[in-house]
Amino acid sequence: MTAAGGGGATGRRRGWRLAAWLAGGLLLAAVPLVVRNAFVHDVMILTLLWAAAASAWNIAGGYAGQISIGHAAFFGIGAYTSSILFVDLGVTPWLGMIVGAILAALFAVLISVVCFRLRGPFFILATLAFAEVLRVLALNWRSLTRGSYGLEVTFRESAANFMFAGKRPYTYLALLLAAGMVALVRGLERAPLGYRLVATREEEDAAEAMGIDTFRAKVIGMALSALLTALAGSFYAQYFLFLEPGQIFSFEVSIQLPLICVIGGIGTAVGPLLGALLIVPFSELLRAWLGGAASGLYLSVYALVLILVVLFMPDGLVGALGRRAQEAAA
Amino acid sequence: MSLALGQLLLSGILIGGVYGLISVGLTLIFGVMKIVNFAHGEFLMMAMYATYWLQVLLGWDPYVSLALVLPASFLFGLAVERLVIRPGIGKPHLVVVFATMGLSVLLQNLALFLWRGDYRPVRGVLGETTWILGPFRMNASLGVAFLVSVGVTLALLPWLRFTDFGKALRATIQNRQVATLMGINVYRVFGRTFALGTALVGLAAALIAPTFPTYPSVGLRFVILAYVVVVLGGLGSVPGALLGGICIGVVESLTGYLIAPTLSQLFSFLVFLLVLVVRPAGLLGRRDAVLAEWSR
Repeated sequence: MTAAGGGGATGRRRGWRLAAWLAGGLLLAAVPLVVRNAFVHDVMILTLLWAAAASAWNIAGGYAGQISIGHAAFFGIGAYTSSILFVDLGVTPWLGMIVGAILAALFAVLISVVCFRLRGPFFILATLAFAEVLRVLALNWRSLTRGSYGLEVTFRESAANFMFAGKRPYTYLALLLAAGMVALVRGLERAPLGYRLVATREEEDAAEAMGIDTFRAKVIGMALSALLTALAGSFYAQYFLFLEPGQIFSFEVSIQLPLICVIGGIGTAVGPLLGALLIVPFSELLRAWLGGAASGLYLSVYALVLILVVLFMPDGLVGALGRRAQEAAA
Repeated sequence: MSLALGQLLLSGILIGGVYGLISVGLTLIFGVMKIVNFAHGEFLMMAMYATYWLQVLLGWDPYVSLALVLPASFLFGLAVERLVIRPGIGKPHLVVVFATMGLSVLLQNLALFLWRGDYRPVRGVLGETTWILGPFRMNASLGVAFLVSVGVTLALLPWLRFTDFGKALRATIQNRQVATLMGINVYRVFGRTFALGTALVGLAAALIAPTFPTYPSVGLRFVILAYVVVVLGGLGSVPGALLGGICIGVVESLTGYLIAPTLSQLFSFLVFLLVLVVRPAGLLGRRDAVLAEWSR
């Protein structure tokens, strides 16, 4: 997309791109109508859910350059808040997930105040510590979270309860969540906040010299990222209806989000979606085919892909595909 | 009460020595290469499995298997540095972060796939022996681990101070560019430091195998504390790692008894966050340029 291409060509290309996106979206939306297989729905839901959560991580990690390996904290706050409010107080999860998102954003601000004086590995380790603190708290605060017994959300089918009998409504909601998230990040990319975040990531001191309040930009980016991650967490809770601190506030969740982003293309709007499309169905298939015998195997392959991608294709799939497209165009 | 308190302190110091030994390797790597090796805990796990299998297949005592585990760990460290770390040096730091994180996930799940999640105990020659020290008692295997840990730390100090390699290593910690200008091949220092750190964690593995069972995610249990210890003790500081380890061991032991065992980890993390915010240079660390860049 060079300026030399002229307004008409760029406009046409943008039109094509929009059409391609719409077609892709419609195709995805049509799958649940045609396919009845529960496994396909399951894979689709998980793929879209992780794509959404990874997109949320991407705002802080990809755009602002604040690599967090503690996002399980926000994911867990979202999941537990909506579930506890529903189970103990009968508050509808639709409202509960908003409360959870706000709580997660507030927690993110707290973390930011502590962590944003730190950079590089120190920052990463601090985010890890915060998530671990929440995990230990959730394990021990039994009256609130039921600890390691797990919190079971009783299934009462009703749209008002965010609970549905079939998988199809969940599939559409996941699609909506993921599409909304990607669109939001795409919008953010062109908004003043997006530019501020990228400038902060690239050269914090220079950004500061340009008059950007980098601390403020980072805090807002982190809070937004936490808020959206919590929404994904609430969705997870509504879909699985069972929460356990060791699983929710886990290092696996924290690491899953950056992995998806890195493989897809960190700091790009579609990267998390591509990463999730590649990784999640693959791991679910491997898990389904090999069953218990494969425990460990699929994550090993996953990790190997990550190492190779990060060392030899650091721009991820988006970067590789983008280069290919540029070469083809030239 | 004071007797119980003394016993708690003693247990904390012993386990803290083990944390220290695990952290010494991490702190050297951290200090010299300015990278966080997220796979350090998995190196510990692999060496513990090596100790376990040497016992099951050949009947070796963990202390005997050190003869094999130490050099194997060193070579493994050299290979990992060359294949996984080196390609990422000089690139944005998230490259090495994710590469070592990927390595951590890879090794952990490979172990899970190959050897299942079972807890595997290793029998040491000391078995359940308990040493009586005045009014206090201590687990002999843990006692040996503590003594070795202190011994190794004390031995490392003059080695770092007076040998050529030790000098090159310390110079690289202080300033990579100037070290290069002084004719030090920093890449060779990187490789050897990484291998040395891996060998030290292999040593720790064989020493703790009789006390702690081996399972695929055992590394995580120790390494998260090791990060705490490294930052607490000061980046790249060998005596700091031992001191930090003992501090964390005591905090864990005291809070575990006085408050709740399940909450003891919580306090270690709170100490960690406190140190990061208040004194990122750690107890014995010096503020160098990179450290200043990471915390302001």
